[in-house]
Amino acid sequence: MTEPTSKGPATGPRVGRRGLLLGATSLVASRLGMPYIGNAAAAEPIKIGMIWAKTGSIVDQAEYLAQGGMLALEQRNNMLLGRPAEIVWLDEPNPQGAQQSAERLVGEQKVVGMVGGALSSFALAISSVAKKAKIPYVAANAATGDLTGKSCNKYTFRLQPPVDVHARILAPYCASIGKKWYLLTASYAFGQDIKRAFTDYITANGGTVVGADEVPVGTPDYSSFILKIRAAKPDVVIGGIAASDLTTFLKQWNELGMKGKIPFAEISVGNTDLWGVGPEAADGLYTITWWYKNPDNSPEEQAMAAAYQKKYNRPAADKAWMGWLGMKSLLDSIEMAKSTEPAAIVQALEAWKYRRGDMDIGYRDFDHQMTGRLLVAGIHPKITDKWDYFDVKAELPKTPDDVAKAFGTKAESACKMDSL
Amino acid sequence: MLDMILSQAVNGLVLGFLYVLIAIGLSIIFGMLGIVNFAHGAFFAVGAYLAYALGKEFGWWAALAAPLLTGAIGVVVEMVLIRHLYGKEPLLGLILTFALALLAEAVLRLIFGGAPVPFAAPKFLAGFVEYGPILITKYRLFVLVTTALVLVLFWAFLAYTPYGRIIRAGSRDPEMVGLLGINLPIVFTGVFGIGCLLAGLGGMLAAPLWTITPSMAAGAIMPAFVIVTIGGLGSFLGAIVAGLLVGITTAMTIQFQPEWSGAAMYVLMAAILLIRPRGLFGERWERFE
Repeated sequence: MTEPTSKGPATGPRVGRRGLLLGATSLVASRLGMPYIGNAAAAEPIKIGMIWAKTGSIVDQAEYLAQGGMLALEQRNNMLLGRPAEIVWLDEPNPQGAQQSAERLVGEQKVVGMVGGALSSFALAISSVAKKAKIPYVAANAATGDLTGKSCNKYTFRLQPPVDVHARILAPYCASIGKKWYLLTASYAFGQDIKRAFTDYITANGGTVVGADEVPVGTPDYSSFILKIRAAKPDVVIGGIAASDLTTFLKQWNELGMKGKIPFAEISVGNTDLWGVGPEAADGLYTITWWYKNPDNSPEEQAMAAAYQKKYNRPAADKAWMGWLGMKSLLDSIEMAKSTEPAAIVQALEAWKYRRGDMDIGYRDFDHQMTGRLLVAGIHPKITDKWDYFDVKAELPKTPDDVAKAFGTKAESACKMDSL
Repeated sequence: MLDMILSQAVNGLVLGFLYVLIAIGLSIIFGMLGIVNFAHGAFFAVGAYLAYALGKEFGWWAALAAPLLTGAIGVVVEMVLIRHLYGKEPLLGLILTFALALLAEAVLRLIFGGAPVPFAAPKFLAGFVEYGPILITKYRLFVLVTTALVLVLFWAFLAYTPYGRIIRAGSRDPEMVGLLGINLPIVFTGVFGIGCLLAGLGGMLAAPLWTITPSMAAGAIMPAFVIVTIGGLGSFLGAIVAGLLVGITTAMTIQFQPEWSGAAMYVLMAAILLIRPRGLFGERWERFE
């Protein structure tokens, strides 16, 4: 019988001095070092993409939209799911630029969601990227019907009521003034939707369109258009021009002596459009989405308006609210989903609700359109506060049922929603 | 219909005169200094904002100082930045002035915010006048008369004063002017200042009509470039004729084919350049050949 010898071949694990040291070091590293490595991963900020114009004709509104969005994150102390969160803001100089920014946000910045698209054409471009990349996207300002209509998709959500809803609310007011309408609309999706919606309404209600002009974006001089309107002698002029273009038009409308002579009406106007016009020239009948002085604003909205006033030393414009609510809905949904997975965020966005007055507002599951009320407003006869131009006449539709009716049913929707 | 066409033509003239004011400055800066000034629209915006700020603080008459202040800013910009570009690669000038335009927009946004600011014409220029079928507002008439007066004065300055002769000679052969003992750097500074003053005047006159925003320069610089190209680079008369042509063409397109109004001036430019590549009054300049 042979005694086993310590020099025989090893059949089990051999632990030498070096191995022991290595093991001990690893153990120490796992106990001490790994938590730090783990924390470093957890501390990686969650990135939210924001695409609002930094240049171009819509930049004036975009500033407020962006400030509202950033405020929404600041109100959470820049934290999401217990991790730091940050907004990456890129420009949208034109539809192609908006699309490229969206691609950069997804590809380079690895954002978990996007908010933006100040003009309808920009929002449609971003939406196509969201669909392809499967990243949740909230269009907080664009009003074209296509976004939640025939171009809808599972990853795109829209806050602004579409043109048709605005038109259903404003058109009866315009028809009560007179039934000969002149349409002056921008030559892109937003303006073309307005032209169609108001033409359909007035022709179905026994009126006529006595003239219709499509105006290029960034037109500096409207006097030639105004001369045509003057010659056509309509009862009402329906506008469909946005942001600084509207401001320019109203200044020249007043300058050519048309203020008060022929009523002017337009949907989805922003505070900033009127602030630039000045008290002398401000005129018109409008639909607006939110007003900082509305006594029916929710406590959260009042807190947002106060925080905005404190930070920027001016009232929160409607666009600030839209930027804030669009971002808030996305951030709330990420918290609800307890995840940054796109599919989970989309499902949370579909379930997200927000209390305003007597109704819960949220995105409808069948077309991802947010429903809610609109304000119909004229202009104060005498403006004494440089921020307060709107003379709010009504908040419509009155009942939740009427709201649902104004936004149309699933059967009426052109949206064929795809799947995740 | 004839009434309408006449009205539109007069209206187009006013727009054209405003464009001329902006384009003339661009044209003389290029003609004299050889700099394609992308920041010219920014001086137009600065003129509008200065008119707003001065008018708000001291009343409308103070706004009239806006063009002078814009010219003074132009002088400083020339002395600090532009003069380093003379005789250098043209691309450098393009890049620097483009950067300057972006910087000016950002500074305006920082000071005045991104939202448009209101500015109205003075009360004594409110209302309009009608001559038969032609309707024109008092303010536009004021713009028309002021611009025409400034252009005549500027032409007289160039044609009949020794300073004007130096500028004209310097634009063709700066070396020879320098050899004659004339302090050319001061002349260059003066020319750049005058160009900016004219852009500032355009901005001040446009302020009650256009939207005053930091991005308003874009609405001015493109027509100005089109006008300078149509008229011929560096040509005073060319800029005037081209400006009026662009104004009237735009107004007429609005009357008959409104959706084409934004493209009308570019089509006009393409048509003229096809027939005469140097522009209507463009000459062969040895300096730029």
